[in-house]
Amino acid sequence: MKDFREVKAGTKRFKKDYVAIMLWFVGRAIQAAAAMDEAVRKEFEELPDRFTFSLSVMPDGPHMIVGKSKRGIVYYLGWDPEGKDITLTMKIKNIEAAMLLFTFQESIAVAVARDRLIVDGEVPYACAVVRILDIVEVYLLPKIIARLAVKRYPVEHPGRKFSRRVLIYLRALLGF
Amino acid sequence: MFLPERYEFYCPVKINSGNRALDHLPFELDTLNAKKPFVITGKNSVERGLVDIIIDAFKDSGLTIGIFDGTPSSPDLKLIRELFHTYRDRGYDAIIALGGGPVTDTAKVLNIAVSGEPEDLEQCAGDGLIKKPLKPFFFIPTLSGSGYETSRYAFFEGRAYASRFLMPDIAVIDPRMTVAEDAKTTAVISLAALTHAAEAYVSTGRSPLTDSYAYPAIQFVMENLLNVIKNPQDKKGGLALANAHCLAGCAFSNIEAGIAHKLGKVIGDAGHIPHGICMGILLPHVLETQLSEDNYHISDLLLPLAGFDKYAETGADLRGERAIGILYNFQRDLFAAGGGAIARTLRDAEVPKEILQDLAKKAFGYGSGCVDMEGYLKILEQAWEGR
Repeated sequence: MKDFREVKAGTKRFKKDYVAIMLWFVGRAIQAAAAMDEAVRKEFEELPDRFTFSLSVMPDGPHMIVGKSKRGIVYYLGWDPEGKDITLTMKIKNIEAAMLLFTFQESIAVAVARDRLIVDGEVPYACAVVRILDIVEVYLLPKIIARLAVKRYPVEHPGRKFSRRVLIYLRALLGF
Repeated sequence: MFLPERYEFYCPVKINSGNRALDHLPFELDTLNAKKPFVITGKNSVERGLVDIIIDAFKDSGLTIGIFDGTPSSPDLKLIRELFHTYRDRGYDAIIALGGGPVTDTAKVLNIAVSGEPEDLEQCAGDGLIKKPLKPFFFIPTLSGSGYETSRYAFFEGRAYASRFLMPDIAVIDPRMTVAEDAKTTAVISLAALTHAAEAYVSTGRSPLTDSYAYPAIQFVMENLLNVIKNPQDKKGGLALANAHCLAGCAFSNIEAGIAHKLGKVIGDAGHIPHGICMGILLPHVLETQLSEDNYHISDLLLPLAGFDKYAETGADLRGERAIGILYNFQRDLFAAGGGAIARTLRDAEVPKEILQDLAKKAFGYGSGCVDMEGYLKILEQAWEGR
């Protein structure tokens, strides 16, 4: 037929790789922050034992899975949701929405408000995860960017925060 | 808030609007269990790079899309037959109309055919003759079209189709697609939307829900049309106008067509002037004739037209006249901003005065609640002369 063509959707390799790296790093930073930051620790304490959540990009990843053990220790559980008993699934609807989130043009709270995510699980758990991500982003990003990425920038002693930030970065990179 | 003794309202259209809204298309298709969409558009969308944006939105979705970009300004049944075979043979399961006017009409009519058989097209022409839901149908506005895109209407080769099943399932309004093409094209669809929304807002069939669609549609057009005509790159304004077009179509689907709409359609179909421009010319004249009638709520129109402050500072008995005055001024401003391309009167639009009688007769033939043929003629004569 004239003026007709069929197009197979390509990929956005670079964006997908970038988001995968960000999810990997944020997942490990959550593990580190849960051990070092009082607010993150408290949020996880309120969540049930063996609570596991995933943050993924639709339709087929990348994924980030974080869980809490029976003893209350928080672990980054990798990028493969296969075979894991996930309590809460947060899915970003597409890679461009994930880019807005991970280039810090939109905070996670704004992304939720703008319907860029779908949540499968209990809403109070999802709210706790959003608060945890907010705190972790404050550690990972310079103040000027973090202000855009989080709902409310916390007031804390700059020296204490700096030392904790360095440690969280180190632990996230080294994975302990 | 006006609450009628009885009303019905139906609107299945989900509106997905805003920054990078198009990237949600694969997700939205999935919610309707559609895996292989067929995009219908025109050459103009290819030239403006809009088709490339759609293709980009599908990247990473794993989907295959069909694109037909040759919709002419007057599509015919031969085209529908070709599209029907392509759709069926290649296993498509949803239709996306990129752009308005003939593109959306083609997509709606194709949807009737592929949801049943091509022969259905003849049997389904008329009001309420489509009896079952059609295939998933998406509409992506581009600031050009007719203003009927989200409505329950489709017009094709002289046939009019009206059914709630013709309303799109989802309208995706993305600021990358709603950059104005030229002043006149933008004005045609925006004035049609303003007229549909205003007639819904003042009509005897209005309800709290038609109000909630019509109110922002009127405000968006009044606040943004002039700016977009002066600065076509105004993305925020373009997005607001595209929202107005979609909202007005939904409101219009839930009321009986008004007089400005009917007359505008008759003149537009006669080929003298685009129907949207015509409706914009006629609207204040029609409202003026309805001002004295209790059934119409002309004075309420001042609120979306002028805002809370002006509404509050105007006495209840003067609000109707002031609303009409604002519409006349708006016509004049549009005429100036468009460099004369957006006519203020039927005379500006070079509609011959001799044919007004015939036009009135045709419009009267469509039926109307309270205006006789003389009434139609009077409105047309006033709109020809101008105020």
